[in-house]
Amino acid sequence: MNLGALFSSVNMASTLIPEWILLLGIVAIIIVPNLGKATFRLPVPGKAWRIPYFIGGKRFAFTSDPRLPSAIAAFTLFASFITALLSQMGEIGVTESCVAIRDGVARAGPEWCSDGSMILQIDAFSRLMGMIFTAALLLAVIANWDRLPATPHHRIALKTQRDEVVESRRLHRLLNNRRQVDFALLVLMVALGMSTVALSANLFMLFVGLELASMASYVLVSFNKETQIGPEAGVKYFIVGSVASAIGLYGISMLYIWNGDLSISSLRSSWADGPNGMATIGLGMMLVAFGFKVSAVPFHFATPDAYSGASGPVAGVLATASKAMGFVALMRVLIGITLADDGSEWTILIGVIAAITMTWGNLAALGSRNPKRMLAYSSVAHAGYILAGIAAIGALGPGEGSELIATAIIFHLAVLVTFKLGAFLVIALLECEGRGHELEHYHGLARRDPLIAISMMIFMLALAGVPPLAGFLSKLMMVSGIISSTVGDVAGSSLSETMDSLSWVFWLAILIFINSAISLFYYLRICVVMFYDETDRNLRLSRAPMIRIAIMFCTMGAIVFGFGILADVLASAAHDAALALFG
Amino acid sequence: MEITEYITMLGNPLTVLILLPITGALLLMLVHWLGNDERREMLANPIRYTNLGIALLMFVLATFIGLEEKFGLAWGEYLYQNCEIGAVSTGSCTLISSIGVSWHVGIDALSFPMVWLTTLLIPISMVVEWDAKKGAYFHSLILMMEGALIGVFVSLDLFVFYVFWELTLIPMFFLILMWGGEDRRYAAQKFFIYTFAASVFMLAGILVMYFNNDASWVGNITGKSFDFVLMDTSTNFIEAEGLRSIVFLLMLIGFATKMPSVPVHTWLPDAHVQAPTAGSMLLAGVMLKMGAYGFLRLGVTLFPDQVIEFQTLLIVLGMVSLVYGAVVCLGQVNLKRMVAYSSVSHMGLIFLGVATLQPLGIAGAIFMMFAHGIISPLLFAVCGSFKHHYHTLEIDSMRGLAHHSPWMSAHMMVGWMGSLGLPLMAGFVAEVAILIAFYMAFGWWVLLPAVTLIVTATYYLWSMQRTIFEGGGEAQLPPTMHDEEPRDITWHENTGMLILGVLAVIYGIYPDFFGMFEMMSDWATLLVENAIYPPEVNP
Repeated sequence: MNLGALFSSVNMASTLIPEWILLLGIVAIIIVPNLGKATFRLPVPGKAWRIPYFIGGKRFAFTSDPRLPSAIAAFTLFASFITALLSQMGEIGVTESCVAIRDGVARAGPEWCSDGSMILQIDAFSRLMGMIFTAALLLAVIANWDRLPATPHHRIALKTQRDEVVESRRLHRLLNNRRQVDFALLVLMVALGMSTVALSANLFMLFVGLELASMASYVLVSFNKETQIGPEAGVKYFIVGSVASAIGLYGISMLYIWNGDLSISSLRSSWADGPNGMATIGLGMMLVAFGFKVSAVPFHFATPDAYSGASGPVAGVLATASKAMGFVALMRVLIGITLADDGSEWTILIGVIAAITMTWGNLAALGSRNPKRMLAYSSVAHAGYILAGIAAIGALGPGEGSELIATAIIFHLAVLVTFKLGAFLVIALLECEGRGHELEHYHGLARRDPLIAISMMIFMLALAGVPPLAGFLSKLMMVSGIISSTVGDVAGSSLSETMDSLSWVFWLAILIFINSAISLFYYLRICVVMFYDETDRNLRLSRAPMIRIAIMFCTMGAIVFGFGILADVLASAAHDAALALFG
Repeated sequence: MEITEYITMLGNPLTVLILLPITGALLLMLVHWLGNDERREMLANPIRYTNLGIALLMFVLATFIGLEEKFGLAWGEYLYQNCEIGAVSTGSCTLISSIGVSWHVGIDALSFPMVWLTTLLIPISMVVEWDAKKGAYFHSLILMMEGALIGVFVSLDLFVFYVFWELTLIPMFFLILMWGGEDRRYAAQKFFIYTFAASVFMLAGILVMYFNNDASWVGNITGKSFDFVLMDTSTNFIEAEGLRSIVFLLMLIGFATKMPSVPVHTWLPDAHVQAPTAGSMLLAGVMLKMGAYGFLRLGVTLFPDQVIEFQTLLIVLGMVSLVYGAVVCLGQVNLKRMVAYSSVSHMGLIFLGVATLQPLGIAGAIFMMFAHGIISPLLFAVCGSFKHHYHTLEIDSMRGLAHHSPWMSAHMMVGWMGSLGLPLMAGFVAEVAILIAFYMAFGWWVLLPAVTLIVTATYYLWSMQRTIFEGGGEAQLPPTMHDEEPRDITWHENTGMLILGVLAVIYGIYPDFFGMFEMMSDWATLLVENAIYPPEVNP
């Protein structure tokens, strides 16, 4: 493949601006922290002529600053987010386009969208999902700004211990900087992988992006090496995740054998002609891989361990961006490929999985004393709600009702970034003092820091779906989509006749309601201990200004996306994305 | 939607009634929170007075609305609407236009009494618990609740209705959790979860209604609208009878829990006993009425056929609540718990009144909401001051209250007499109207509820005799007093109770004071003529 051609085309540059920015950010984060006073001595006898070449040597003050990598990563993600937003508003770049590989050369332009060799597809859906991913990662990076100690054997906030161990302040700064570089680099790789998943119009590209993001996120989980459970969680997550990915890859290969082409449009037309057994099995195996990503029961067992082992911001990313990525893949496959086939054998299967997932998640969350595990199980439950939506789409087939449900799913994935990630960021704030993994640590939080406690309460109520917060609107749209798909053609003059004529999907909606009521128990428990119980710890919370800023952003988001003009804007954007998804 | 349109929305008096207390309360809490300790101390009183000032201003505003307007002239007529019935389609008052949510408010003869009652009770409850700890937050939360409650009563968009419906829970949750009695944690959680769980069923019903409320000309994502007036005037709103029944039952679950009716009443005694005085005054005075209001507004108005279909169910629910509440009252040793169960009993009468399907019965049910909204806060205020001065709520621990606290005893007498339905008190008017309508509808079955009212009288008179009068001059003080000198109620408690007591008597002698009974009976007549037995059906 001719690398020159990759960059030669103007189209190529303008089509993928957000992704190029991420790539540049990765390069910058590799190079910039390594800049130092390295010099090369010219081999001239008797003379000490030195030519500086800047890579290596004694680092400059600014390149060894622990905050530099986070700054680069945050700037990159922010630029990527803004360019994606502007390109959708039509200000820069292109709104809709495609990238195809033809004759070994990557070509970009809207004319390739109907071509079979298309691999990446830029439209409202992929750009909105890309913005969701970058927003979540941006918040995580901001929250990591002043965390991550250099010395892995000691707790974060215990300053006295740290001073005993680290004799050289400069070395400490540098080590801290190294660690932040690793973290920021991994975050940017996650971002690039997720963007690829959102853009991909080809199962191979989708898998590559999924693996890029997953591999980086496995490392991010075990990055939390101050706690003993962090590395263990990372390894567990890695092993289970690899097995799931391998099964998914096997499924993709079966689809390839069946169809001879992995582009989604080609698979869709073949599927419309009727899949054979191999294709169905292949699809089922892919559902295993994506089911792991969205932590659907029975593939959820690594989820609570991974979330509770990871640091707060990373767990937040897993629960929002990573999960959204799994749902993008699921929707690409289920809606993109199989919806044309009227039979949709998978609908009942997904419906059953959804019912079990939401119920199991909620019941398990009821029994968790560790708020991180509780949030992990609540994340499982939320996956169940979204899966119920997907099942309803399958039962309904393409049409207005399905578009509404897809709108709701996308809206939900977007607002999840505000309140779910926000809740994990509050945990991250408590982790700064080495706590946060037990319910007792939240006792009396309202006295220690009212603003954080109120934010946490808003996140909890939003997760439970209490109006007028964002979580309510998303859940309402989801349930209303499901209900609309069932009550449209209801007949019968008496109660029993009507009951018979209701579709089974209607009961999924009722189950969502019942589960919401159950979930209120454990969400409210956090609120109650924060405001009611006494604490023996009367210290103020850590200052950590950047985490607080990120939390405030999340709080504002959870409120403004629930009611009023911004909710309307986001819902319209989600609707455009859903229309693009259905093509 | 333009910003200017939001500003014109603010010009509507009802919008002001909703937003003024909510924003005012949030700002006051923020001001208090931002200061350091010294400034907080300094600000405590000004914030308290500002809260009361806003509450009084709201009362004046609501009273002006009542003086200026004549409610209940035509069926389906709402005053002070911020957008015309057809204007929802043009999108002039949309809030979340993509799913058809609009900011549509309006007031009619059913909602005005409730709004006026709310604006009346809020300042009174503030005054009664004037010296609450952390008053800046306490009174602000009450003020915030006022906005949410008025939002429930005047919003004509079901999405906004539901939002306010749930929003009332949050201030009340904190009032119970932070200022309640010993077992407040359990009570607050139970209160929140119970009512939230019930109202999600109502939400399911609302969603089914939403998807049958065609507004495809609006051009939003779903092509539907949450607008209540549109549902009410639509000719083909949910045609399948079976589906109508499902929706009606789903909503009945939500409303019956809020009212509350047996068997979903168990949150009420716990919440009431643990809530602070002002909290239980509002809980009994207004929050229980939300259920009855929602039932009349959504259940009866939109699904009149289902009221006829499930008439027996309503009567059974009402009778069981009435009898069970009264009998359980007999066995109570806790004063507040007894009053709480008497609320269950009285709410049963509302179901009975509606189930008669007579104009008089429905008017009686609405008047019962109003009368109970005046009398039960008085009773809870008395319970609160009793607890405050004697540190107990045990009925048996006290003898000869009249000797030590004559004012408190007088208010207790007035409240109990009003509650048991003494003639010339507000409760009597409602009970008589409901019983007459019951006789008109079901003949001598009226003896069932009528006999139960004797039980009500029994438990009140019995505990009154024990607590207030027995013992004469040699009063028995509760052991929790620890040799304190018994006192009478403070001036602010007395003010609040006096207003409520006087109103209870005024409405007993002249139910039409401020046009109340007239507008209620007008509304009930119009409801029966236009919705329950529409002209083409009624020969």
